[in-house]
Amino acid sequence: MSSNQYMNVPLSLYIHFPWCVKKCPYCDFNSHETSGAVPEAAYLDALETDLIDDIKRLSALNKQSTKIEKPEIQTIFMGGGTPSLFSANAIQDLLNRLKQHLTFAINIEITIEANPGTLSFEKLAGYYQAGINRLSLGGQSFNNQHLNLLGRIHSSSDITTAFENASRAGFKNINLDLMHGLSQQTISNAINDLQQAIELQPTHISWYQLTIEPNTRFYNEPPRLPTDDTLWEIYQTGLNLLAQHGFHRYEVSAFSQSGQQAKHNVNYWLFGDYIGIGAGAHGKLSSAEAIIRTAKTRSPKDYLKQQKCKSSIIDEKSLSLEFLMNALRLNEGFTKRIYEQRTGLNASRLENFLTAGMTKGLLQQKHDKIIPTALGIQYLNDLLMLFD
Amino acid sequence: MCGYTTIRVGRPPRLLMAESKYIRNFSIIAHIDHGKSTLADRFIQLCGGLTDREMANQVLDSMDIERERGITIKAQSVTLFYQADDGHEYQLNMIDTPGHVDFSYEVSRSMAACEGALLVVDAAQGVEAQSVANCYTAIEQGLEVLPVLNKIDLPQADPDTVCQEIEEIIGIDATAAIQVSAKRGDGIRELLEELLEVIPAPVADRNADLQALIIDSWFDNYLGVVSLVRVVQGEISAKDRIILKSIGKTHQVDAVGIFTPKRHLTGVLRAGEVGFIVAGIKDVKGAPVGDTITLASTQDVPDLPGFQKVKPQVYAGMFTVSADDFEDFRDALAKLTLNDASLVYEPESSEALGNGFRCGFLGMLHMEIIQERLEREYNLDLITSAPTVIYEVVTKAGLTTKVDNPSQLPDPSTIGEMHEPIVVANILVPQEYLGSVITLCVERRGVQKDMQFVGKQVSLSYDLPMNEVVMDFFDKLKSVSRGYASLDYSFDRFQTADLVRLDVLINGDKVDALAVIVHREDARTKGFGLTKKMKELIPRQMFDVAIQAAIGGQIIARQTVKALRKNVTAKCYGGDITRKKKLLEKQKAGKKRMKQVGSVEIPQEAFLAVLRVDK
Repeated sequence: MSSNQYMNVPLSLYIHFPWCVKKCPYCDFNSHETSGAVPEAAYLDALETDLIDDIKRLSALNKQSTKIEKPEIQTIFMGGGTPSLFSANAIQDLLNRLKQHLTFAINIEITIEANPGTLSFEKLAGYYQAGINRLSLGGQSFNNQHLNLLGRIHSSSDITTAFENASRAGFKNINLDLMHGLSQQTISNAINDLQQAIELQPTHISWYQLTIEPNTRFYNEPPRLPTDDTLWEIYQTGLNLLAQHGFHRYEVSAFSQSGQQAKHNVNYWLFGDYIGIGAGAHGKLSSAEAIIRTAKTRSPKDYLKQQKCKSSIIDEKSLSLEFLMNALRLNEGFTKRIYEQRTGLNASRLENFLTAGMTKGLLQQKHDKIIPTALGIQYLNDLLMLFD
Repeated sequence: MCGYTTIRVGRPPRLLMAESKYIRNFSIIAHIDHGKSTLADRFIQLCGGLTDREMANQVLDSMDIERERGITIKAQSVTLFYQADDGHEYQLNMIDTPGHVDFSYEVSRSMAACEGALLVVDAAQGVEAQSVANCYTAIEQGLEVLPVLNKIDLPQADPDTVCQEIEEIIGIDATAAIQVSAKRGDGIRELLEELLEVIPAPVADRNADLQALIIDSWFDNYLGVVSLVRVVQGEISAKDRIILKSIGKTHQVDAVGIFTPKRHLTGVLRAGEVGFIVAGIKDVKGAPVGDTITLASTQDVPDLPGFQKVKPQVYAGMFTVSADDFEDFRDALAKLTLNDASLVYEPESSEALGNGFRCGFLGMLHMEIIQERLEREYNLDLITSAPTVIYEVVTKAGLTTKVDNPSQLPDPSTIGEMHEPIVVANILVPQEYLGSVITLCVERRGVQKDMQFVGKQVSLSYDLPMNEVVMDFFDKLKSVSRGYASLDYSFDRFQTADLVRLDVLINGDKVDALAVIVHREDARTKGFGLTKKMKELIPRQMFDVAIQAAIGGQIIARQTVKALRKNVTAKCYGGDITRKKKLLEKQKAGKKRMKQVGSVEIPQEAFLAVLRVDK
């Protein structure tokens, strides 16, 4: 039995795929342009070694002399980069190898991120047959001019085609990523993007505002973004539109049809555990003694040679703050029991914070639940700064 | 061989002190940038006080802030041993003096320990006003002044014109002025020889009862109070029981010594000498500057004249950002005042900022330095309220009171008239900048009293409202004259003026700490400028913040800091939360340095916005 199960902390698996056809100017993830084919076989070998090491790490963390046998995982997320640069065969092979080291939960959610410019019907069908049951399409916008400014390699119609092919291939659970607050974007542009997304009837929409991050091209050559007033109008109109069409906002930027929340992401937000394998992947692992973060070699070239891992213990003060930074993103908030279970700390530590948050109207308590108010979500950073 | 080695650093100090005829006590009068610190460094080097390796530049400016700002704030002393051409070794006590207009008080203090002064003038720039004023102080105190032309190596150096300026403006003979280049080390020996000639040895009766003057005192965390003293008569030794006359307390002397500039124990200081004593005084108020020290057995020795108590020119409230730090703040102020007698303070309670102290400063630079020292040396986060000068209020009932805090101004209906302080300002400016300096003086309500052309410079005398002078006049003067104009001023009188209190309201609530007293005809412009500047300085919050300026009940200016629409990170997945956490912590640290007034968070700078209003 794994200690995670002993601790009752659910465990997920994140797999990072670090290659892209082209690096987008807003992207600060660990992604690297590749001209030729991706080294599928070598990367799969590296991932497997990496996974075996992480399972050993988990055992060591739990002070078990013998390896934890096939820990159970609830979700798998293949992110990037562009995982869809990998062939269906490679993904099939990868899943087979994972099964040798992990137990897949009965209702396991397995997501792959896909760039609409990299998909054919055959590839999608192959993914589905391999066992992938959730597709996350990086659409970003339905306006070709904006897609161009965002440096995307696909057009608006590519998104629609990819979506239709995916449905035909059997995918029932599809997420669409959309951005707003783009350079030269008007309110009607942004709303039009959302309407087109809604028309495709995905189960989930991630709708997030473009932010300029350090170490990106946009950071060095900042685009002219819409004014605050326009951004605010886009935001409010967008929230209303999504709600009207049955997309429930369950997290700051995540909207889903009923019962279709992204289980993998919810596990992050509720401070669950996750093994993170692949170049630059981060993980979080718990035991009764300590909670650690892991980070793998970032450079794909180096990672292929050796899958180095840096791990660090999260100190108690950071634990609470990191928990809150995640859990308060959720509309439903969290229970004190979850806080105690996921951090190993006593919920009494939160008392001052709760009082301060409630005084400012940013938090409310309902029965055993701690819930951010609408204002609390809107000003989440101000709310988090109340934690001392 | 045993492993015992002695590391000799520099030249060992003479433990046998000099006869008084081989002692010279002097200070250096010079404008900032005219090279005083470099000259002092050369003296130390020539006399071997420090090895070359130890010679960090400008060793006399020991406080970090002094070093960083390149200015001298506190008086310091160094004892040097100079092998003169006559074959004798002389003990030279050099008392450093500050060069900034805010600190003229310190100058007279340093001079009380001297028989002479070097007037150092930049041979290219000529005489400047602060040196003129300090020179007068020296002459009044009976010091011999020896003019020195520095930077003689510069191509623009014009010694003849500068000598003419010295003679005409200050009125001392400059024919014997020594020409040096402190930077290159030229003429230093000649200067020291001339100094021995011109500056008299102290008149010192070493057999009389001890009489020593405290020139400076400061608190050392390990030693307690350390005092710099000039022994006027008699001598003081370790183990002596002394009494501080104004305090009436006796102490045993633990240590006696000199600065070379390193601290060296000598065991005794004799009449005519300058050095430090440590007497186990733990109470910061136990060794006030200007006090007379004598032996416990000779308590009847008369007091030395001491120093005139300095009057602050600028007042402001200081408050801790966190109320929990109030006690630490009180202690820190007590320690600072020991070292800086010109700082005065008394408790103040502000509705907006809580409990703090109303502090009096010599000027704005002094205020900045005090705040910086408190924050740096005592680890405090402070808010300073809008600074003000003292006004006189005559009530309708005929009662005259002084007001150093705009919020304490009585009800306008009870005020008969108000008086503002006027200073006499002496300005020296090269002819090409005369026009812009006159324009500046007129803008600041100056009334010209005198104008004379001397050498390449013009000597101007103006009556100016003190309020206009103390805030940023000096900086403005420098900027309109490319740094060449110089200023000296002193309070002259109170004069009737049409003044009103300009209140500032934040979201409808009057914030007492932001109120300023202004001329009625300026109020609108000031109110507009002030609210505009505050709008720039107050960050956007969860709600609109209205900033209004008002006179009495009437709003005369308004600005709004629009609400921040949202403050939430768009994306946060499992990945790298560390960076997001750091960003949040940085934002939070900024927030912690802000003062919450009502529900609005106001940064420190916004309280001083009045100083940054563009004219």
